[in-house]
Amino acid sequence: MTAVSTITVDEATAAVPAAGFWSRDRKVGAGLVLLGVLGAVLFGALATAQPARFTLSEDSGGAALEVGGTTGAVLFGLIAALAGGALLTGRAHRWFAYLLGAGVVGFVLSFLCWQVSAAPAGQNFMPLVNVVRGTFLLALPLIFGALAGVLCERSGVVNVAIEGQLLMGAFSGALVGTMSGSPWIGLVAAAAGGALISLLLAVFAIRYLVDQVVMGVVLNLLALGLTGFLYERLMQQDTKAYNQPPHFPVWRIPLLSDLPVLGPALFTGTIFLFLAIALVVVIQLGLFRTRWGLRTRAVGEHPQAADTLGVRVLGLRYRNVLLAGAIAGIGGASYTLVIYTFTKNMIGGKGFIALAALIFGRWSPVGALLAALFFGFADQLATYLGAIDSVIPSEFLAMLPYLATIFAVAGLVGRVRAPAADGKPYIKG
Amino acid sequence: MLGAAACGKAPEEGGGTSPAAKKFTGCMVTDVGGIDDKSFNTSAWKGMEAAKAANSNIEIRNVSSKAEADYTPNLTQFVNQKCDFILAVGGLMEDATSKIAQANPDQQFALVDGKVAESNVFPMQFDTAQAAFLAGYVAAGMTKSGKVATYGGMKIAPVTIFMDGFADGVAYYNQQKSKNVQVLGWNKATQNGSFTNDFVKQDEGKKVSDTLVAQGADIIMPVAGGAGQGTTAAAQNSGGKYSAIWVDVDGCESTPNCPALITTVVKNIPDAVKDALLKAAGGSKLTADQGTIGTLENNGVSIAPYHDFDSKVPAELKAEVDKLKQDIIAGTVKVTSAAQPQ
Repeated sequence: MTAVSTITVDEATAAVPAAGFWSRDRKVGAGLVLLGVLGAVLFGALATAQPARFTLSEDSGGAALEVGGTTGAVLFGLIAALAGGALLTGRAHRWFAYLLGAGVVGFVLSFLCWQVSAAPAGQNFMPLVNVVRGTFLLALPLIFGALAGVLCERSGVVNVAIEGQLLMGAFSGALVGTMSGSPWIGLVAAAAGGALISLLLAVFAIRYLVDQVVMGVVLNLLALGLTGFLYERLMQQDTKAYNQPPHFPVWRIPLLSDLPVLGPALFTGTIFLFLAIALVVVIQLGLFRTRWGLRTRAVGEHPQAADTLGVRVLGLRYRNVLLAGAIAGIGGASYTLVIYTFTKNMIGGKGFIALAALIFGRWSPVGALLAALFFGFADQLATYLGAIDSVIPSEFLAMLPYLATIFAVAGLVGRVRAPAADGKPYIKG
Repeated sequence: MLGAAACGKAPEEGGGTSPAAKKFTGCMVTDVGGIDDKSFNTSAWKGMEAAKAANSNIEIRNVSSKAEADYTPNLTQFVNQKCDFILAVGGLMEDATSKIAQANPDQQFALVDGKVAESNVFPMQFDTAQAAFLAGYVAAGMTKSGKVATYGGMKIAPVTIFMDGFADGVAYYNQQKSKNVQVLGWNKATQNGSFTNDFVKQDEGKKVSDTLVAQGADIIMPVAGGAGQGTTAAAQNSGGKYSAIWVDVDGCESTPNCPALITTVVKNIPDAVKDALLKAAGGSKLTADQGTIGTLENNGVSIAPYHDFDSKVPAELKAEVDKLKQDIIAGTVKVTSAAQPQ
């Protein structure tokens, strides 16, 4: 292990200087002021005097944080506007992240005070445990998928095949898990299934220099076709023998699982929840604190230079792409080895959202985790609003997670830069 | 793309090897859920198979639609293959069927869950609100939390008709018993509620039902095709915390989660499709105005046996449901929904 400091993608983008009066701080500040005022006035007017209860449990029972609907909507709207105002002065750059966070959270809370207080009688509550748990559950496949993307793209191979790797993992996990009767063997098979798709990607992209984006799209279709065919011809014929996968039990982490809200949501779950968080930490540390990570990044940014210094460029790329496939495969197994049986196309596009989370998270594991959680939260929020008979039409709610992601990527993340050699085959010479 | 394999046979015309008597071909185009959605596509295909079993001169084929963009090419393909009877499954296919039927006025079409103006399209519709009304009544009688829920796959008439009936059944129970059982996930008055926007992904179904359970519901009726299996699987895992009501095909035959199912709102698609295909094969021309509407009275819709819940549903409630069924047939209790077939 050598501690080496290099400029990272994140630092490089943050260093872009702001020009003129309308710096990024001021633009974001103005946006927050607008949102905050909108919240205080509009949501305040629409909210009812009913208290909005945020319960610390899975349902309506237990302790709760309570605030009057109108009061809360106005108050939180003002908080958002104040945070925006501070940024608008242009002198609060040091606290940019905190003020932005306060602004966004204030706006969301103002909105929630309106929605929860306006819900039908008996439904004026939001169970926070369910919200946090739902956010993580919805983010889970995205986290695995985005980590697979990080490993590939940091070493210079574009991975559009995340969807296919997830699907293959879900399928292999279900099939082998059922046949062996052990979820652990199923898990290994899922990793192998994901790695198989990765192997094809690696061979064609690295050995035969095929366009990586095109290859990824083709592999997604291959995985869809192959699993669909085997599902119809094998699993459908004898469900008991091939498609009744065993399940991982729910684990409770002692002590931590007793924490309010976070305990039942975050420290009570199947192996996949813990594995996802552990992998984020390990890959983050690995990429930025170890020799392997430095070499991986070098190969992704400037393979010639890395080669000159004696790094085996192609070998490292093969290894990382295969590892990525295995991780995505495990993510796929989180579908079939926890609760569901395998069905055709069961991933249904999550792999592509994972790709967006990877970019939104600036090609870093922690960034990808946050992006996945952001999407998961928006998705969970939309579901919650549908369940409490919100006045917002369900067609709009269906759009909400995607809309929020577009705004977040365009408005908050700003310019991102992919690893310089991403997608470019390396030809020694 | 795989379904295409099942219907990729070359048209049997003019070949010297063809058998003396030409077979009557019934061809079915599924909705995006696919032939194995364990719901209405599966049951329509069952009807086709039953017709084939009853009349050996019938030959059947199917093709699955992967996306709504596939409807027109799939229907056209069967027209070109000279199918004698083309069945379109699902209300979403109305527009495509109407267009193709207009262009081929002599071709016999049939449509499940929809009705179009063209006279060569034979509609088979189902007043599922009647059966869902009974299910709502059962749910209201069974809930312990005082809250029951339903959610849909998409806000279209063949889906919301279940949700309307369910909500009204609960309201009727409240009125009869002076109770206040709440329905979550669907507001009949505003026609707004919870949707998965998908008929396939189980995780979308589970996402919605997890939230409805957190809001207090202990009985949930998903009307979302295969996506609803996310709910039944989670209900079975919940160890009795909540249970589900399935739709379309008896859930004890079509899902692996029978122990979690109270009953099923059954839409008798197989018999309707079988009858239509047999009539068409017998030489009758089926026109739009002869269309059928399945009701409780003609057994076109019903609620399935309680199966594992048979011992848990009180005898008194069962008797009330039977009585209610008779009242609906007799017309003393009216079931209305904006989504009902006209």
